[in-house]
Amino acid sequence: MKNKILMGLAAIAMVAVLSSCGKTPQVEIDAASAAIEAAKTAEAAVYLPAEFAAVQDSLNAVMTEIAAQESKLFKKFGPAKAKLASVVTLANQVAANTATKKDEVKGEVANLMTSIKTVIEENGKLIPKLPRGKEGAAVIEQIKADVATVDAAVVEAQGLFDKGSYMDALNKINAANEKATALNTEVKEALTKARIKF
Amino acid sequence: MRLKKVWKKRILFAVILALIPLVIMLLVKLVPQPPKGEVEYARLVISQAASNNAAIYSKKLYGEAKALYDSAMVNWNKENRRFIYFRNYEKVSSFAELSAKKAEQATKVSKNNVTDLNILLKHKMDSLNKMVGQINKYFTAYPLSDEVRSRISKGKMLLKESEVAFKKGQFADSNKKITESELLLTDSYKIATTSLKEYFNSYPVWKNWVDKAIKESRKNMSYSIIIDKYSRKCLVYLGGVKKYEYHVELGKNWVGDKRVRGDKATPEGMYRITRKFGSNKTKYHKALLINYPNETDKEEFNKEIAKGTLPRSAKIGSLIEIHGDGGRGIDWTEGCVALTNSEMDVVYKIASEGTPVTIVGSTVNLNQLLD
Repeated sequence: MKNKILMGLAAIAMVAVLSSCGKTPQVEIDAASAAIEAAKTAEAAVYLPAEFAAVQDSLNAVMTEIAAQESKLFKKFGPAKAKLASVVTLANQVAANTATKKDEVKGEVANLMTSIKTVIEENGKLIPKLPRGKEGAAVIEQIKADVATVDAAVVEAQGLFDKGSYMDALNKINAANEKATALNTEVKEALTKARIKF
Repeated sequence: MRLKKVWKKRILFAVILALIPLVIMLLVKLVPQPPKGEVEYARLVISQAASNNAAIYSKKLYGEAKALYDSAMVNWNKENRRFIYFRNYEKVSSFAELSAKKAEQATKVSKNNVTDLNILLKHKMDSLNKMVGQINKYFTAYPLSDEVRSRISKGKMLLKESEVAFKKGQFADSNKKITESELLLTDSYKIATTSLKEYFNSYPVWKNWVDKAIKESRKNMSYSIIIDKYSRKCLVYLGGVKKYEYHVELGKNWVGDKRVRGDKATPEGMYRITRKFGSNKTKYHKALLINYPNETDKEEFNKEIAKGTLPRSAKIGSLIEIHGDGGRGIDWTEGCVALTNSEMDVVYKIASEGTPVTIVGSTVNLNQLLD
């Protein structure tokens, strides 16, 4: 009887020992989560949404794997640890790529800002040359209204740029640039028609 | 006896040893299995939904799918903390299954929404660009308030921003911009067309004047000049047949009849040339003075003074001419009609004192014009 009890206890102890051999890789999970958070802070979701989604999904996959291991009697976290390390590498890569992409967009916005300022400056010089007659005309009023809208869009784009919202600034400045260029063409055509040198 | 006892112990030990793996196998077998497959599938479907932009175009369903997936994971981890044989993964399984269903729906809805939005945006861009074309065609030179002009400009800019976003595949952003643009442009277009319609209420009177002028020209085999203010045309008739057609420039405030001196409006009515000024008598190359104000204009002016719609200090306009120096591409006169110098030379040559000059808002009705 005594032996039977001893054997039973030994079996339970063995199960307990075996079931607690693997320990949740919390440090690695935290490191992966922190790397993803860093990529998020770097605005990876804005500049590289597909890559960011992929790295997030990789972490979700590993977390499923870890939960599956934790459900087992005999746990094995080695492969999950390796995958978590890959997630960290991938997230760091995405963060670095985001920084590069952000710089590219920032540069593009800055270039467009410079070029639009040149066009606006030229428009500013050309518009007063338009034949104003005795009191101006509806056409000039519309051109003036369009110029004011372009100016407002540039100010708005500059505000977004200063705030670091380069992607939003890019869309705004692109549209403003197209409009300013169209106005420039319109004004030049009007001046040519009125036989005014510019 | 003692030997027998030893053998008995050995056999028992051997049996126990043989039973251990069986017990372990049994213990392993009895561990409840988590729904790893279901959770994994839900994750994959959510990932697919994300790559189909469900977070933007099927926000609610995608959000629900993610929340259900999170619930599945939370419950799974919760069950994992319980004693191994007491674990129950039913809730995990149910959450994962629901999550996958929602994610599948989110993908489907997102795809449909993207397709629909794409079509809708193209249609809206097309119709708003047409509207901008109409505005440019009919209202660029039409006197509108600064506020309406500003709204038109903002509407055009937002339309441009919407097109930029559309080209980048940012349909939600494009839709937001086009909705704002549509509001501004539609509203402005409505105000402008209402004003134009009101102006064209006088069309039956204009038509009557034009018909009379052409009839007189036919009857007398004489020249008759008709000025169409809206289409900025100077039509010269001889014997009831149009002989010349020239572009004209008017006063800034050309819509409506001239009411008072300095209102920059070109009068509307049936007039006659009263004097001809050669190049040495006018600063505008050559000029033809008309009999504005005629009796009808004076009557209208006095009525307005009496009604108080014009101040007592107001003075009636005068010195309205058809003159040269035109071709500037804008409306710039004080209310006169300007032609290019070469065209003025032709009109000056055929005109004489008494030649009828009929000035109307339009020679065609609004429907014909907008068509």
